[in-house]
Parts: sequence; C-alpha cells; structure tokens
Amino acid sequence: MAKVAREVVEKAGVNVDQLLELLVMNASAELTTYYYYTILRVNLIGLEGEGLKEIAETARIEDRNHFEALVPRIYELGGKLPECMKDFHDLSACPPARLPGNPSDVKGMLTVLVEAERCAVRGYTEICNLTAGKDHRTYDLALGILNEEIEHESWFSEFLGEGPSGHFMRRGETSPFVGKFLK
Amino acid sequence: MKNPLPVTRSELAECNGRNGKSAWVAVDGIVYDVTKLFLWKKGRHWAMHDAGGDLTEDLQSAPHGADLLKRAEIVGRLVD
Repeated sequence: MAKVAREVVEKAGVNVDQLLELLVMNASAELTTYYYYTILRVNLIGLEGEGLKEIAETARIEDRNHFEALVPRIYELGGKLPECMKDFHDLSACPPARLPGNPSDVKGMLTVLVEAERCAVRGYTEICNLTAGKDHRTYDLALGILNEEIEHESWFSEFLGEGPSGHFMRRGETSPFVGKFLK
Repeated sequence: MKNPLPVTRSELAECNGRNGKSAWVAVDGIVYDVTKLFLWKKGRHWAMHDAGGDLTEDLQSAPHGADLLKRAEIVGRLVD
C-alpha cells in the first residue's frame, strides 16, 4: 500500500473505502466484458459478423487494459481483489454481458455491447466526479478509461444505426488514453 | 399503475434489500421495487446508495436519469 498516497486522498475528503469498492467493481466489469468480447470473436461470423471482428478485437484488448491499469491503483490505495474469480465476477459494476440465444443475431450481440459500454461510461463518470480535484492519480486513470469507453460506445452505437461515431478506428497501438498506465 | 398504493417512509425504510428483504427506493414521490435489478444487489447501488430511502436528491448528481428506473416495478407512492 502507498501509505501517504492514501492519506492525502483521505485528507482531501474522499471516502477511500467506498472508492476502492467502486474500483474493484469496475475492474470486475472490465474483465467480464473482456470475456464477452473474447466469445464474440468466435461468434461474429458471416458477412455481417466478419466486418465487426476487428473493431470488437480492439475493444477487447482495451477493456483488458482497463482491468490491468485498475489493479495497481486498487492495491496502492490499500484495497485488494477477491480471492476467487467467481466472487470477483459477482460484484461487477455492470450486468455481465451474455450472448443472445440466437448465435447469428449480430444486432443482438451489439446491443449487449452498447449496454455494457454505457454502464461503463456512467461508472467512470461517477469515479471522475468523486475524485476530481482530490485524488489526482485515480482521476487521471478513470478519465483515461472514460475516454476509451466513450469511443467504444460510439463505435457500436454507430453500427446499430444510432448515428455516426465521429471517429476513425484505431491506427496502430490500442489504448491511446490508458497506455501510459501500462508502461 | 393507475392507483399506486401509499407507502410510508417507515415502510420504505423496511425494504432495504438486506437479510432477504425487498429493495425499494423512492424518486420524485414514486416508490420502485429494485430487488431484481443487477445493479441493486443486496440493496446497494454502486457502493454509495442504499435501498430503503428517498433517492430523489442523490439522482440529481448521478451519471444517469430517472429513465433507468423504468426497468423497475412501481410499487406505490411515497406519503408522509
């Protein structure tokens, strides 16, 4: 634990135990979404599915990066992850994504994804609101993740016909906002 | 719901989602049953909000609006 780092955050008025609970819940949501994207890779098939594979893969890697970037901050602040994967899964900040019953229902798969990304956008907005001006390191991390989650939401929202995302796909490295926490 | 049942604050407080109880929350005078919602497991929402109370003020600063409560069943209207 980074003792002074925790002290200064507490002194700034943040309820660190509450913040830690939120960070663990969101780390769980990232890992469960990473799992969903992984099974999507093998279920996005056919002409329609194939076109989505590359962007789904980018989001998959970035959600895994979010999980990996969150873990050190949890331990710095004196928190920890649950001792088993099932306990971790069950406290996810967002309902775990699940493939639709019809395996060729690409729109259904995307709808599940958009819901998961929207839940993440709300979650990191909440963490940013709690830490702004008080816990600079968690804020910086949550803001980085929020930037990427908003892009994910808009990519998949575009595919569902809700309007253009305004973005181009990643070129080169993934996680342009969170990458600095992974070095 | 055409004629929502009156729910007192003490009845609302009883439904805190703990020890197998239902989880109810009130927003803008409407009482919702959030027991079955994933994000309200054990009567707690995102580590910060507890069932059994009036969350109208909390919702003002939440990163979502009352529209998400459409997923919950309306059980009544809050009365003093």
